[in-house]
Amino acid sequence: MTTAQPTGFKSWLFTTDHKKIGIMYLVTSLVFFVVGLLLAFVMRTEQLDITKKVIIDADLYSTAFTIHGAAMVLFWMIPVLTGFFANYMIPLMIGAHDVAFPRLNALSYWLYVMAGLIAVMALILPGRLDTGWTGYPPYSIVGPSNTAFYVFAVHLLGASSIAGAVNFITTIITLRAPGMKWGRLNLTVWGLFGGFIIQLVGVPVLAAAVTLLLFDKYLGTSFYDGTKGGSPILYEHLFWFYAHPAVYVVALPVFGIVSDIISTFARKKVYGYTSMAIAIMIITVVGFETWVHHLYVAGTLNWTRVVFMWGTIAIGVPTGIKTFNWLATLHKGSIELTTPMLHALGFISLFTIGGVTGIANGLLGLDIQIHDTQWVVAHFHYVLAISMSMLCMGGIYYWFPKFTGKMYNEKLGKIAFWITLIGAMIAFLPQHTLGLDGIPRRYWKLPAKYAPEMRIAVIFSYITIAGFLMTLYNFVHSAIKGEKAPANPWNSKSLEWQIPSPPPFYNFEKIPTITEGPYEYGKPAEEPAKSH
Amino acid sequence: MEDVMHGGNHEVHHHVVELSVWPLITAIGAFMIPISFMTAFSWGLSSIGIVLAGVAIVVLIVGLFGWLNEVHAKKEDAGLSKIAIIVFIVSEVALFGGLFGGYLYAMLFTDIWPPVNTPAGVPPIGLAVLMTIFLLSSSFTMHNAEEKLTHGDMGGFKSWLTFTTILGTLFIAFMAYEWHHLISGNFTVRTNEYGTFFYTITGFHGSHVIVGLVMQVFLMILASGNKIGKGRQTMAKVTGLYWHFVDIIWLLVMSLIYIVPSIKAGQ
Repeated sequence: MTTAQPTGFKSWLFTTDHKKIGIMYLVTSLVFFVVGLLLAFVMRTEQLDITKKVIIDADLYSTAFTIHGAAMVLFWMIPVLTGFFANYMIPLMIGAHDVAFPRLNALSYWLYVMAGLIAVMALILPGRLDTGWTGYPPYSIVGPSNTAFYVFAVHLLGASSIAGAVNFITTIITLRAPGMKWGRLNLTVWGLFGGFIIQLVGVPVLAAAVTLLLFDKYLGTSFYDGTKGGSPILYEHLFWFYAHPAVYVVALPVFGIVSDIISTFARKKVYGYTSMAIAIMIITVVGFETWVHHLYVAGTLNWTRVVFMWGTIAIGVPTGIKTFNWLATLHKGSIELTTPMLHALGFISLFTIGGVTGIANGLLGLDIQIHDTQWVVAHFHYVLAISMSMLCMGGIYYWFPKFTGKMYNEKLGKIAFWITLIGAMIAFLPQHTLGLDGIPRRYWKLPAKYAPEMRIAVIFSYITIAGFLMTLYNFVHSAIKGEKAPANPWNSKSLEWQIPSPPPFYNFEKIPTITEGPYEYGKPAEEPAKSH
Repeated sequence: MEDVMHGGNHEVHHHVVELSVWPLITAIGAFMIPISFMTAFSWGLSSIGIVLAGVAIVVLIVGLFGWLNEVHAKKEDAGLSKIAIIVFIVSEVALFGGLFGGYLYAMLFTDIWPPVNTPAGVPPIGLAVLMTIFLLSSSFTMHNAEEKLTHGDMGGFKSWLTFTTILGTLFIAFMAYEWHHLISGNFTVRTNEYGTFFYTITGFHGSHVIVGLVMQVFLMILASGNKIGKGRQTMAKVTGLYWHFVDIIWLLVMSLIYIVPSIKAGQ
C-alpha cells in the first residue's frame, strides 16, 4: 500500500472509509442510546410516586415517551446494526477493500446525523412532538405538536436507510472475495442482508405514509381525515407495513451476531447453518405478513385479522428453529463464558420470555384484552428493546479487540452484564399483570393500587440502566487505556479475525481466496484458516 | 493498486476512495430543506423560509454535481451501479406500491368511485392517452440510444437520447397543462379522496419523470465530454433502466387513476 492513511479531523469529516464511518455510526448511536436511557430514567422516576408530579408534567411525559421510542428504535438499534456492524464487518467478512459505493456510505451516515438533529429539535423546540413514535392521525394532524419534525426526521432517516440498503445489498452481491460462496457467509452477513431487504421494501412505504401526513396537515388533502372521506386506519396500515418488519431489521442481524459469538465461544460449527440462513430469509418474507396484528382492535376486515394472526404465529417457527439451533450448537461445545458469550446467552433468555408473550399478543382473542396495555410494553422490552440492546453490547465486546485494537476489561464487563441482566429480568415483569388488568400504556399516572408493582419496576429499571452505563464506561475506558489486542484473541476461524487488529486501511493486502466457511472448528488450531 | 487486484472472475476492480467533501455537503443541503419548510410553515417566517429553501437547493445541487463530477473524473468503470439501480428500483416499486395500496384502500371502502362531487370530465382520459403515447415511445427511443452506444455510434446515441428527452419533456408539459386545466375546473386536492390521490400519485410519478430527465441531461453532458462510450456505458444503462421503470409505473397510473374511475363513472 503506497498511500498514507489520512489523519486529522478532516479524515473523519470527509472520510469514505467503511471502518471510520462504522466507528462514527457506533459513537452517534451510543449517544442516542444514552438519550433514550435518560428519558427512561425520567419516566420511571415519575412513577416512583404514582399520585402526583415528581419531575415532569403529563405533556412533557408524552414527549418523553415519544422521543424515548424514536431514539431507541430509529436512532440506536437500527443504526448500530445496519450502520456500525454492517459497515465495519461486512467488507471484512466477505473479503473486500470497502463497500460498493464509499461516498454513498458517507452520505448515509450524514443523513442519519441530520435526522438526529431534527429529533433533538423535536425534544426541545416549541411544538414538541408528543404523538408517540407512531405519529397516528388524527392527533398528529389536528393536535398541537409539530408533526413536521416527525415527518422530516423519517424522510432523512429513510433516505439514509435506503441508500445504505442499496449500498450493502450491492456490496454483498458483487464484492465477495473469490471462493466466498453464499454458503460460506457469516450468519451476521446473512442477517444484515435480510435486514437490508426489509429496509429496502419497507422504508419507502413509511416515507409515503408520513408524506401523506404532511400533505393532510399543510395542503388540506384528506388521506387520513375521516370527516372528508379519508381514513386514519389507512395510516396505521401503511405505518405498520414498515414498522412491524422494522423489528426484524433489528432482530435478523442480532440473530446473526448471536450465532457468530456462540460458535466462537463454544468452539463448534453453528448447528444447522443452512437452516439458519433459510430461517433468516423466511423471516424476511413472512415479516411482511404480520402487520395487521397492530390493528386488531382498530377496525379491519375480519378475514385479514385471521390471516395475519396466522402470519404472526408462523413467524415463531423460523425463530424457534434459530433458538433450538443455538442450543444445539452449545450442546457438547467447549464453552468459554467470556463477556460477549454471557451477553449472547443473556439475550437468548430474555428473548425467549418475550417471544412467548409475543405469541400471546398475536392471538386475536387474547389481544383484544391486552392491546395497547402495559402487557405490550412488557412484551417488546423483553423481546426487542432490552434483550437486543444487550446483544448489541455483546457484539461490541466481541469485536472490540478488532475495531479498537485494545482489549476490554473482562471483569468489569462480566459485572456490568450480571447487573444489566438482573435488572432486565424483573424491570418489566410487573407490567404483565398490569396489562392483564387492562391498564393502558403511555399513562403518566396509574391507579394507586399498583404502587407496589410500579416500585419494583422503577427500582429494577434503575438497575438495568446502571448496568448499561457500566458497560458504556467499560467501552470508553478500554478504548483509551485497554491493553493492546492480538489479531485474533478468540482463535476464531472467521475471516475478519485473520487480519491485524485494528485492520489496515485497505483491510487485505491481497484479496484472499476463500476455501471454507467461517465456523470450521474441530480442526487443528495452527492451520491457517483461509489465507493462501 | 492494480498489482494486488489479481484474481478470478469474481474480482472487481475496486478502488478505495479516501476523502470526499461532497457527501457531507449534500447531506447539509438535504437537512436545510426541512428546516426551510418548518421556518415557513411551522414558525410562520415565510420570507426567511423561502431564502433558506433557495440556499438549500443551491447547496444540494453543488453537492450532487461535485459528487458526480468526482465520480466521472476517474477513467475506470466498475459497473456496480447496474446492480445498484435494480436494487434501488425495488425500493421505488415499494414506494408506488404503498401509494397504490392506499388508493385501492380508499377506492374499495368508498361506495361510489370517484365520489359524487367529482366534476364532469374528470379524469381527462383523452389527454392521458396522448401522454401515454409520449412516454411509451420515449422508452423505445431510449432503448435505441442504448443500442447505438453498445455499437459505439456516439452520434446515433446522442440523437436518440435527444428524442427521448424531448418526449419526456412533452409529457411533463402536458401534465402541467392537465393540472392547470383541472384546478381551474375546480378539481383540487381538497375536492375529495379521489382528488387527493389523483394529484399525489400523478405528482409522485411526474417528479420521477423529472429525475429521469435530469439524468438524461447529465448523460448528454457526459457524452459531449467523451466521458462515456463503448467501454463505459454504466451511466447510460442506469438511466435507461430507471426510465423504463418510470414508464411501467405510468401504465399503472394510467390504468388505476384514469381508466378504472372512468369505467366506474360510466356505469
